[in-house]
Amino acid sequence: MTAESILKESGARGGFGDRINPIVVKELRQAVQSRFVIATLLTLLSIQIVAIGIYILASGASLFGFDAGRQAFLMLFSILQSIGMIFAPLYTGARLVAERSDTNVDLLFITTIKPRSIIAGKMFAAMTLTALIYSACMPFMTFTYFLRGIDLPSIFISLGVGFVVVIACVQAAVFVALIPVGRALKVIFGLVALIVFGVAYFVTVFGVSDLVARGFVTRVSWQLVVFFGVLVVFLIGLFFVMSVALIMPVASNRALPVRLFITAAWLSTGVAALINISIEKDQRVLIAWLVAFEIVFAMAIFVAVSERDRPGRRVLRSIPRSPLGRALAFFFFSGAANGLAWASVMVVLTLGVAVACVELFSTHRNTNDLIDSAKWMGGMCLYFFCYATTGALLRRRLFSRVGTELTWLIGAILLAVGSLAPFLTGYIVFFHDQWWSEDFGAWWVGNPFAWGNKGHRVLYASVSGVWAVHVAAMSLPWFFKRCEDFQTGATCRKGGGTGSVSDLSIDQEAS
Amino acid sequence: MNVEIVNLRKHFGATRAVDDVSFAFSSGQIVGFVGPNGAGKTTTMRILATLDEPTAGDALIDGVSAVEEPESARQLVGYVPDSLPTHRDMSVHEYLDFFARAYGLKGARREKVVEGVEEFTGLTEIRDKMLVALSKGMKQRVSLARALLHDPQVLIMDEPAAGLDPRARIELRELLRALSSQGKAILISSHILTELAEICHAAVIIERGTVLMAGAIGDLLTDGASRRTVLIRALGGQETLYRELLETPRIRKVNLAGEEVVAEIDGDDQACCELLAELVSHGHRVVEFKQQRANLEEIFMTVTKGETQ
Repeated sequence: MTAESILKESGARGGFGDRINPIVVKELRQAVQSRFVIATLLTLLSIQIVAIGIYILASGASLFGFDAGRQAFLMLFSILQSIGMIFAPLYTGARLVAERSDTNVDLLFITTIKPRSIIAGKMFAAMTLTALIYSACMPFMTFTYFLRGIDLPSIFISLGVGFVVVIACVQAAVFVALIPVGRALKVIFGLVALIVFGVAYFVTVFGVSDLVARGFVTRVSWQLVVFFGVLVVFLIGLFFVMSVALIMPVASNRALPVRLFITAAWLSTGVAALINISIEKDQRVLIAWLVAFEIVFAMAIFVAVSERDRPGRRVLRSIPRSPLGRALAFFFFSGAANGLAWASVMVVLTLGVAVACVELFSTHRNTNDLIDSAKWMGGMCLYFFCYATTGALLRRRLFSRVGTELTWLIGAILLAVGSLAPFLTGYIVFFHDQWWSEDFGAWWVGNPFAWGNKGHRVLYASVSGVWAVHVAAMSLPWFFKRCEDFQTGATCRKGGGTGSVSDLSIDQEAS
Repeated sequence: MNVEIVNLRKHFGATRAVDDVSFAFSSGQIVGFVGPNGAGKTTTMRILATLDEPTAGDALIDGVSAVEEPESARQLVGYVPDSLPTHRDMSVHEYLDFFARAYGLKGARREKVVEGVEEFTGLTEIRDKMLVALSKGMKQRVSLARALLHDPQVLIMDEPAAGLDPRARIELRELLRALSSQGKAILISSHILTELAEICHAAVIIERGTVLMAGAIGDLLTDGASRRTVLIRALGGQETLYRELLETPRIRKVNLAGEEVVAEIDGDDQACCELLAELVSHGHRVVEFKQQRANLEEIFMTVTKGETQ
C-alpha cells in the first residue's frame, strides 16, 4: 500500500490538500517535473561538494586554524546565495511571463480564486523551492561548524537572512514579470532587476560576512539585523501588493491594497521610529523613515496621474455609503484624482511628523540633519508634483488621444527636460568650465535632485512653489469634478447603463 | 436561463470596439457570433465572461449582471478563449485538477467531476499526457473541459475551431451538440461559417462594433435575400418548362441543367408558392420543387463590408 493510498483511505489527503492554495499545488507539481529545477539543484549540490572538497584539500595546515569554518561557510554561503538569487527569481519570473503572455492568467479570474491568492501561491511555491535548495545545502553548511570559527546560531541566522533576501528577489521578479509592457521592455526591466539583484547579492554576502565576523551577540549586529529585516519585509510586502494590483483586472479597485499597505507601513514604522527617537535620543531612524517614504510618495504621484480618470462601475459599486467612509475611501480607491490626493496628503503628513520631531526633540542628536533632509525631500516631492500634474494637464488639454496610462511618460519627459535644459543652456551660453561650481547651481533650478545646493534652495523653492500653485489651480476644476463624480457615483451606482432588451432577441421557437 | 446583452458599449479612447450591441439567447441554443476581425466579438465575449468592463450597457446572465456582480456571474459562465493551454510540465489531468481546485471543488467531488469531464470530452485516454505534447484539437478539448468543470449554464467560445483539422472540427461539433442537448446556452464565434450554419440555432452578425443582423439561422438564410433560387424537375417537357420560365416576369434568371431547371425568383416564399401553383395549373408535371437557400457565407458577404476599426 502506497503512502498516497493510505492518505486517501484515511481522508487526510483530501482534507489537507483542499486547504492548500491551488496555485501552490500547480506550481510545485510543475517544479518537480521540471528538468530545469532538477538540473539546478544537482548542479548546486555538485558545486558545493567540489568547493568544500577543494577547500579542505587546499587548506593544508590552516584547516586547523580558528577561522577555517567561518571561511568555508562564507564560501559556501556565497555559492548558495548566487544560485538562489539567480535561479529562484528567474524561474518564477520566467514562468509567470510565459503564462501571462496568453490568457492563462485571465482564465483564473473567471474562477473563484482571488488575485491575492494567485500571487501568494506563486510566492509560497517559490519559498518552498528555495527552502528545498537551502535544506539540501544545510549539511554542507553545518559541516563548517566542525572546522571551528563559526557557531551554529550564526550559521542558521545567516541562512535565514539569505533566505529572506532570495524571497524579496523572487517577489521583485514576480512584479517585473507582471508589468504590462512589451517583450522588449520586459527584457530591459528584467536586466535592470538582475543588476539590482547583483547589488543585493554583494550587500548580503558582505553584510553576512561582517555579521559572522562580529558575532550575533553585539547590540550593533542586532540593530543591523532588525533594520535590514524591516526594510526587506517592507520591500516584500510592497512588491506583493503591487503585483496583486497589476494582476487584478483593470476594472477593479487596483490601487486600494497598495495604498492601504503603504499607509499601514508608514504608520507602523513611523511609530517605531518615534519610539526609537525617545529611547536613543537620536533622529537617525526618523531621517531614514522620512527619506524612504518621501521617495515612495514622490513615485506614487507619478503613478497616480496615470490611473484611470473615472472609476469604473465595479469600483463605484464598492464605495461605502456613509459620508465618513466615502470621504476616507476617496483617498484609497482607484482613480487619478484619488491617488494624487492621497500621495499629496501623505507627503505633507510625513513632513509634518519631521517638523513636529524637530520641535519636540530639538536637543536630540542629528536634528540638523533631519531639518536638512526634510527640506531636501519636501522640495523633491514638490517638483515631482509639478511635473506629474503638468503632464496630466497637458495630456487632458493637448494630448487627449494619449491614454491616461501614459501620463507618467509625459511627466517623465517634462522632468528630464526641466532637469537638464536650464543647466545645459547655461553651460552652452554662459559658462564653459567650472560647471560643478556652486556659483552656477541656480541653473539646476528645474532639477528635483539638486536640493543639495543649499545656497540656491530659496530660488528652487520659489520657482517650484509658484509653479505648484499655478498647476494646482488649473487642475482644481478637474479635481472637484472627480470628487463630485465619486460622491454621486456612490449614490446612483446601481443599474447604471442598463436598458431594455432590444428586439434582436433570438427566441427558442424561431430556431 | 436567458443571456441578454443590453446596449453594450466598449470604447478604447476614440475607438468604439462595441457600439450599442444588443441580443439575447437562451438555454439549449447554440448562437454563432460572426464578424470580420476587429468587429468586436472578442470584446463582447470578454465582457460576458466578466473579464472586461463595458463603457455602458450590461450583460445579464439569468438576470445576474456580469458587470456589477462578476463573482455571481462567474459561477454561471464557462469561457473558452481563442488561445490554447500552454502550461509547461503539466499533464492534462493535473491541469484540470488545478482549475477544479481554483473553482473551489473539494475532495472526492473534485475527483469525480474531473473524471466525468475527462470522460465527456474524450480525454480519459490521454489524461497523463503533457499539455505541450498535445495536438491543437486535443488542446481545444482540454480547454473546453476546463470551461465545463464548474458545470456552467452558459458557454462562451472564442474561435474554438480555428486551426483544427477536419476530424477535430467534427468531434468538436458533436461535443457542442451534446452540450446543447444538455440545456447549455452556447455563444460561439468562428470564421468557418459553413460549420456554424450546421450547428447553430441562431446567429448574430457584427461589424465595426454594431450588430448588422441577428436571428434564427433559418430566418437569416431566407430573410437575408430578397430573391429565392428554386430547383425544378418535371417529368418530360424540360424545354417547355425552361421557355415558360423565361417568359415569366418575376423570374430573373433561368438555367437548364440536364434534367433540372434552376430559376431565380424575385420575391419571398409566397412568390415560390405562386410559381409552383402556376406551373402545375399550366400542366407541368412537377416532381421536385426545392428552394436552394443562401448559405451563411453569402449572407455574411452581403451584409458586411469587410470594414474593421
